[in-house]
Amino acid sequence: MRLIGMVQLIGIASWIGLFSRVIRAVEAEGTSLGFEIDQDIDLQGDCNESLGNYKHNCKSGFLSNEGGSETEIEVTETVIEDAPQPTINLRTREDDSIAVKDQIWYPYSEHLSIKPLPKNYLLASFDFDTQSNEFVPGKPSTDFDDYSHYTVFPKAFKPILDQTSTRQLHLRFTRGFWDAESWGRLPHDGFKSGGSGVEIWAILEADSKDSAFRQWKTLVNSLSGLFCASMNFIDGSKTTFPVESFHPVDDTTLPLFDQNKQLYLVRAALANEPICTENLTPLVKLFPTKGKSGITTLLDGHKVFDSSWHSLSVDISTDCDDQTERCSHSLQALVDMVINVPNTLARSENPIPKPLPGDKLRCDLDKPHDAFHCFQLPYETEGSYGLSQLFGKYIQGSSLMSQEPSQVCVDIADSWNTFIQVNGSLFATTDNCFELKDFQQQDIYFESNNTNEVVDVEPVPVYVSRSLTGYGQDRGGLRTVFVNPQDEPVTLIYFESLPWFMRIYLSTMHLEDNPQSPVNISLDDILQSTYYMPAADRVRPTHLEYKITIPANTTLAVSYQFDKSLLQYAEYPPDANHGFEIESAVITVIEPTTYQLRTATLLLLLSTPDFSMPYNVIILTSTVMGLIFGTLFNLLVKKMLPVEEADKIQEGNGLRNKIQLFKSRIMAKFNLKRREVKTDLKE
Amino acid sequence: MLLKEKYAVVGCVVVRLAVSLLFPSLQTQLDKSVELSTPMSSYRLLNEGIFLLRNGFPLYDGGVVHHPPLLVAFMSLIEPQYLVALLYALTDGLISYQLICMARFFSDLGLPTWLPGALYALNPLVLLSCVSQSSVIFTNAFTSTAILCALNGNLLTFAMALGAASYLSLYQLSLLIPSLYLLSRENNQRSRATLAVLGVFAALLQLSSVVTGGSWKFLQATYWSQMNFEKLFPNLGLWWYFFIEMFDMFIPFFKAAFNIFAISFVLPFSIRFQSQPFYALVLCIGWITLTKPYPTLGDAGFFLSFLPFFKPLFGYMRCPLLSALLFIHAIILSPIFYHLWVDLGSGNSNFFYAISLVYALALGFILIDLCWSMLRIEFDGGRPNYKLKVTQI
Repeated sequence: MRLIGMVQLIGIASWIGLFSRVIRAVEAEGTSLGFEIDQDIDLQGDCNESLGNYKHNCKSGFLSNEGGSETEIEVTETVIEDAPQPTINLRTREDDSIAVKDQIWYPYSEHLSIKPLPKNYLLASFDFDTQSNEFVPGKPSTDFDDYSHYTVFPKAFKPILDQTSTRQLHLRFTRGFWDAESWGRLPHDGFKSGGSGVEIWAILEADSKDSAFRQWKTLVNSLSGLFCASMNFIDGSKTTFPVESFHPVDDTTLPLFDQNKQLYLVRAALANEPICTENLTPLVKLFPTKGKSGITTLLDGHKVFDSSWHSLSVDISTDCDDQTERCSHSLQALVDMVINVPNTLARSENPIPKPLPGDKLRCDLDKPHDAFHCFQLPYETEGSYGLSQLFGKYIQGSSLMSQEPSQVCVDIADSWNTFIQVNGSLFATTDNCFELKDFQQQDIYFESNNTNEVVDVEPVPVYVSRSLTGYGQDRGGLRTVFVNPQDEPVTLIYFESLPWFMRIYLSTMHLEDNPQSPVNISLDDILQSTYYMPAADRVRPTHLEYKITIPANTTLAVSYQFDKSLLQYAEYPPDANHGFEIESAVITVIEPTTYQLRTATLLLLLSTPDFSMPYNVIILTSTVMGLIFGTLFNLLVKKMLPVEEADKIQEGNGLRNKIQLFKSRIMAKFNLKRREVKTDLKE
Repeated sequence: MLLKEKYAVVGCVVVRLAVSLLFPSLQTQLDKSVELSTPMSSYRLLNEGIFLLRNGFPLYDGGVVHHPPLLVAFMSLIEPQYLVALLYALTDGLISYQLICMARFFSDLGLPTWLPGALYALNPLVLLSCVSQSSVIFTNAFTSTAILCALNGNLLTFAMALGAASYLSLYQLSLLIPSLYLLSRENNQRSRATLAVLGVFAALLQLSSVVTGGSWKFLQATYWSQMNFEKLFPNLGLWWYFFIEMFDMFIPFFKAAFNIFAISFVLPFSIRFQSQPFYALVLCIGWITLTKPYPTLGDAGFFLSFLPFFKPLFGYMRCPLLSALLFIHAIILSPIFYHLWVDLGSGNSNFFYAISLVYALALGFILIDLCWSMLRIEFDGGRPNYKLKVTQI
C-alpha cells in the first residue's frame, strides 16, 4: 500500500512539473494572442505549396516546443532535424530526471478515427475515455474525514453528481445537417449525437418524481455554468420523463445506492441553442491533456464549428462492483465532426473569399469551353492534404498518462494512402492506425487519386423527416414522413416533446393518403403502443411516444393538427417574430438493428400582439366597459321625468339660477340701504 | 300547435340538418373561426376529449380539454357523425319550439306565436353556431328550458334545466336571481327553487367526479380556467387582448375585476325590473353575453332571438339603427380582420381588437336601448306616449 502511495505521490510531483512547463508555454502563447492568429494564417500560406509533394520547406513559427523557444522544423522525406530533447518522459525513458521504476498511468485514453465520406467530406471522431477512482457508495462526500481524490476524472463533475444523485448523465451539443442519404449512418449509430442544439438527459436517484425534478434543476443549473450553455432555462415546461426512449440497454446494471429510492430518467432539450467555442473549451479542459498534447491539440473552435456537422457529447455512468461494493464513474466524451474538405482547405488558403482565377477553374471538357465559357466540374476527385491543414494545428505529442499512447486510425478505401508525419518523416502502417509519439509534432497526411471511392457507408434503417403544415398563425399541422428503404419491416419508437403553446389534437392523428404507401394499411395496424401526456400551460410540454412498425419498402406520413396559443405580452422573446424553435423528434430503431436518429428542428410562428399597445389597450377596453357600465348604471338609478319638469328642477338647481338668487338678495339689501339714505336726505 | 309553428320548428331542424349534411366540410371550417368557437366550447376540443376518454387517457390531466366531463361522456356515446349533426339540429329545434311556447305566455303583445321560432330558425348566427357544433347550443337549450319552466311554474324541471345550464357554463348560474322573480312567491317556491338548482348543480358535479374516477381536477379545467382566463385565444370578448397586454403583477386584480363585472348587473336588473322578470332575465342573458370571458356569436344569437318579445318597446328605442349597423359592421369585418392578421400578416392584432370593441359597443348599445325602453314604458304606465319627451336626472 505504502509503495503505491509513494508512486502516486511521485506521479503527482512529476505531473506538477509537467504542468508548470505547460503553463509557461500557455503564457508564452497567451501574451500574443492576436499574433498567434496572424501566424496561423501565414503558416498555412507557407504550407500550401507543399500540398502535393513534401519536399518544400514548411516553416512553422508559432508553435512553441517544450523549452518555450522557437524551433525550425524542416520537413523533407529524408532529413530529420531532431526536436530538443524532452526532459521528462514518464513512460518510455529510463534516464529521466525523476526516476520512476513502475510505469504510472491513469485511466485515460484518447482515440481519433478519421473516415473519408463521399463528395470530399471527412468524418473525424475524437473519443476520450476516463474513469474516476473507486468510491464507497452512499457515503456523503461532505464527511470531514473524507477526502476526494480525482486523478484524471474531471473534478468539476463529482460534486455535482453526488449532490444530485445522478447515476447517468448524457449531454449533447449538436449542430448542422447530417446527410444520411450519402453519408449513411450517424457515428456510433446515432446514440452519441443529439438534435440541433443542446440535449441532456440523466438518470437520477430520488424518493419521488418531484424530488427527482428538483435534483434535475440543480443538475442542469450546475452544468449550465460548467458548459456555458443556457441550460439554466430548462424548467418544467421543457422537461419530460421519457417512458420508452433513452432508457439504457441494460437497466439492471444501474446501481441504486439507497434501496428506498427509485431511478428516474429525465430529459430536456434546447432546440437550436447556438453551439460554439464557449461550449468546446470547457469540454477540452475536462481532459488531463487540456488541449496541450495528444489529439486534443487539434480541437480548435474555429475549425470544429466551421464543419458541416458537429456533435460534442459527454456521457457519464456509474458502475459498481457487487463484490467489493465500490463504485466508480466513467466518462466518455466524443467530438464528431464532418468537414467539407475543399471548403476548409480553400478557407485556410484564402481567408477572404475571392473568385477563382481563370487558370484554376476546372472545366468540364466534354462541354464547350474557352476563355469565356466554362462548365465547372462538380468537385475534385484527386486530393492530398494533412490534418494540420484541416485543423490549423499539428498534433503535439501524445497523452503521457494513459497506458496506451493516443491513437489515430484512418478508415480508407484502396485508392487512398495515409501517412503519419513525425519530425518530417512519413510513415505508413498496414492497418492505417498510428500511435502518437510523445513530445513530437505530428501530422496525418491523406492522398487519393479518387476521393469518391470510400469505404462503403452503412445504409440507414429508416429515414424520418418532420415538417410543419398549414399557413395560419393560429393553427397548423405536423407531418412526419417515415421512409423504410429496406426489405424488412422496421420497428421504432418515436419520441416527441412539444411546447405547451402548441396544443395538439391527438384525435386528428392519421396516416396521410400517399400513392407510395399501401392502400389497405391503417394507423391502428402499425401503431403498437402510444404514450401521451398532454401539455399543461406553462407547466409541462406535450409528451408523445409511440412504437410503430414501418413495413418494408414503404413510405408513410403520419400527421396531426394543433392550435397555437397566444402568449402573454412578457412571455414573448424580444425577437418574437423570428418564431419559436421546436426541438427535434427522436427516433429509436429497435428492430432489426438498433439505431437512433433525430429529425430537424422546426420554427413555429405564433401570432403576436402589438407590443406597443399595453397602455392603449388598457385605456380603450376600460373606456368601453366604463361607457356601458356607466350608462346602464345611470339608467337604473336615476329618476325619470318629462323634459319640462326636469328643466324646471334643473333651473332650480342651476348655477345661473343660484347667481340670480344671490344677486337679487344683494340687490335687495342694497336697495334697502339706498332707500334709507334717501329718507335721511329727505329729512 | 299551429301549422306555422310546426313549419318553424321543422324548418329549423331541416335547415340545420341539410346544411350539416350537404356541406360536411363546413363544420370544420366554422369550428376554426374564432367568432363561433372558443377553447371552452369548440367541437374539435370536445372531439379530442372524446378521443382521450375512449382511449383511456386522463381527461383533465393537462390543459387540453375544458368541456365538462358529463358532456364529453354523453357525446362519446353518439358515434356516427350524422347522428351528432341530428342531435345538434334537434337541440336547435327544441330551442325554437320553446321560444314559440314562451310567446304564448305573451299573447297580449300582439306577437304571432310562430314568429320567435321562425326568426330563431332563420337567424344566421344561431344557424352557423349550430352547424359549427359548438357546445354553446346545449347551454342555450338548457337556459331556454329553464326560462320556459319558470314561466310554467314547473319547479322541478326548472331546477334541473338551470342546474344543467350552470354546469355547462358557470356564468349561467347567476340567471338564478332574475328567474326567481318569475316564480310565484307562494309556498316558498323561491327558496325551494334556489335549493333545488344548487342541489342539481352539486349533484352534477358529484356525478362528474364519479365519471372521472373520483377526481376533482375537472373543476379547475372547466370552471377555474374559464374564470381565470387561462387560454389566451382571440375571441369577440373584451378579455383576451386586455390580458395579453396587461402587466404581470396586475393580472390577478383585473381578473377579479372582470369577473365581478361579468355578474355586476344581474342583481340590479333583477331588482329594478322585478315587475317584468322575464325581461330582466333576457337583459341578464345579454349582459353575460357581453361580459363573459369566452363569448361566441352563438351566445349573441340566442340573446337576439328574444328581441321579438320587446316588440312594444321598439318605438322607444333611441338608436336602433346605430346598434344594428355596429353589430353588422362587427360581424362582417371580424372574420376579414382576423384573416388579415393571422393568415395574411398584412394587418396586426389591433385590427381584430378594434372589431371586438365595436362588437362590445354594439351589444352594449342594444342593452342600453332595451333598458331605456323598459324604463320608458314603465314611466308611461304601459300605454305608449311617444310624443312625451322624457329625461332622467
